[in-house]
Amino acid sequence: MNAWGIIKTIIIGGSTLVFFFLLWFYNPFKHVEHYEVDEEVKQIIANPWKKTESGKTIAEEGRELFINFCSSCHSLRYDGIYLMSIQTNPKWKKIEKSAGRPVYRHGILYKDRFFVPKDVYEAFAHDELQQLKASLGQVPPDVSTLYLARGEGYLYQFILYPGKVLPGTSMPPMFNPQADPQAKEKVAKIVAYMKSVNTPPPKEQMKRNIMGILIIVYFIVAGLLLWKYRENLLKRLGYH
Amino acid sequence: MGLIEKIIDWVDERAHIREIYRSLLVEYKVPKNLTFPYVFGVLALVTFAIQIVSGMVLLLYYKPSIADAFDSATYTIMGEIPFGWLFRHIHATGANFFMAIVYLHMFTGIYYNAYKKPRELVWIVGWLIYFVLILTALSGYLLPWGQLSYWGFIVTTEIPGSLADAPIFRDFFKAIAETIVLWMKGGYVITDITLGRVFGSHVLIYPLILLALVGIHLYLVRAAGISNPDGIEYDKKKHPDKFVPFHPYMTLKEGAYVMWYLAVFFFFVFFHISHFLPPDNFEPANPLKTPPHIAPEWYLLAFYEVFRSIPSKFWGFVAFNALLILLLLLPFLDWSPLKSARRRPLFFIAFLVFMFSSMALTILGSMPPTPMNAKLGLIFATLVFGFFLSLPIISFIEYGWYKAKGGEQQ
Repeated sequence: MNAWGIIKTIIIGGSTLVFFFLLWFYNPFKHVEHYEVDEEVKQIIANPWKKTESGKTIAEEGRELFINFCSSCHSLRYDGIYLMSIQTNPKWKKIEKSAGRPVYRHGILYKDRFFVPKDVYEAFAHDELQQLKASLGQVPPDVSTLYLARGEGYLYQFILYPGKVLPGTSMPPMFNPQADPQAKEKVAKIVAYMKSVNTPPPKEQMKRNIMGILIIVYFIVAGLLLWKYRENLLKRLGYH
Repeated sequence: MGLIEKIIDWVDERAHIREIYRSLLVEYKVPKNLTFPYVFGVLALVTFAIQIVSGMVLLLYYKPSIADAFDSATYTIMGEIPFGWLFRHIHATGANFFMAIVYLHMFTGIYYNAYKKPRELVWIVGWLIYFVLILTALSGYLLPWGQLSYWGFIVTTEIPGSLADAPIFRDFFKAIAETIVLWMKGGYVITDITLGRVFGSHVLIYPLILLALVGIHLYLVRAAGISNPDGIEYDKKKHPDKFVPFHPYMTLKEGAYVMWYLAVFFFFVFFHISHFLPPDNFEPANPLKTPPHIAPEWYLLAFYEVFRSIPSKFWGFVAFNALLILLLLLPFLDWSPLKSARRRPLFFIAFLVFMFSSMALTILGSMPPTPMNAKLGLIFATLVFGFFLSLPIISFIEYGWYKAKGGEQQ
């Protein structure tokens, strides 16, 4: 290739690479809102599967906190948590078993939690959900995947200071850092729990990473071998 | 080995595979000087295969009903089914890569003027593939039933409604607009019926059309022969030294490129999926809550920017459709027999303007709609139209130069 060819390749190839970098890696022109988790509780959210002094994992403690503080309005169906008023209804226990199936996530079976299809649940809980709507203005959403949609920073700030993050929201502040010194820790545990529902545990994540690296290395090496093989073959066939 | 060879011989006696292999691969000659961008055609084919296979796996667990769609995608496929996440990641990455590769393939074709005689039909069928691909992408986007899916679909189906904004024959255009919107939505509101239609189109109708079109596209490429980056059509019989057998010369080269392409592909699948499975789409569709920033996916942003930077909705709609039509008419706008930007300085400049303007439109489309951005969008849209409309003149001038030089050997 002559000098002009190299310049053309750099201009066209380079700008194509920059273009896709902007689209698929980092776009400085795009407006993104940032919410930060407080330094002191970052560790709690970082690894929800870590055991605490009580012998339970952070995620399990977060689950209990969620049931106590959140489940009067919010369900988390992907982990078998439904409105508190429904959970206490003995009829629901039967429906859970007949219409739902035990929660099975990332290779772990949770025998005592049931995933019930949305329409079955909403039909059963119709009255309760409508009551919530009457008092709050809208049905509080199911928060199964909210961690993926909003990220930990938003959830943490929103649960602590709902009105500040989303003005006009009907969500009440359940935790007060001024009155309760453990409020931030509790909120962090709830966020950690929501994270544990939506992300694979460290062992599974490690498996995925190893699998990814092996596959990528395989393809790079296979490409190199094909290239080498081609060169030898072409030499033998007389195509320089 | 003896047994395997015997079996192959047995099959060959009946199916004549060796004969077909020789005539289709070894005796098929392609230009020796094909450059790297020619690989995008093969990469598109590979990605299409990936999409079909990963789509088949997703199809086993996806449920096309409003109540179950989101849960089947986000709970069943991502958590319950072993490796379900892998196939969803592959399908999402494949969709984006498919569009990217097809765009690169199109730009390669434009750069080397691979749409000129005798390859006009190749270009036209390729354009049809691109069009059906956009439909496939749009329909697939609704299936996960997240907020982005839902509102993206609403916005897309409302765009033809801009026809109702026409300056004349308003009633006539309004009737057309409403009909198109109704057709696309399958009703006045989005219900199970819409989702069923979109699902059926995405998993069966569009892929079947695509398969047929890709087959025709490949046949036409074989029939007309691969274009030459130098823009000179050599006779295979007179210049055998300019050609090489497709196999093993090209197959092994492109095979190696495919392997490296897959390495990049799987980097995205395993380690960088967040741009292909956007976070906003992990919130179930809610018809009562419009998300703040709705924009189409990146592959449509250029058209979207043309549409929204023109103040009148009607003319915006006309403009971006005109752009698609101009793309289809490319072989007839650029009429001179001269080929390849390598030999055409004016065309090379026009191509750069076109390429950078399309990129700028895409980036602008991802930015908030401020008056400044609208003005920039209008400028770049004009440049893109300028590229297409200046092609007949560029052809005329360059053909004049060529004739003045005495018209050396084509």
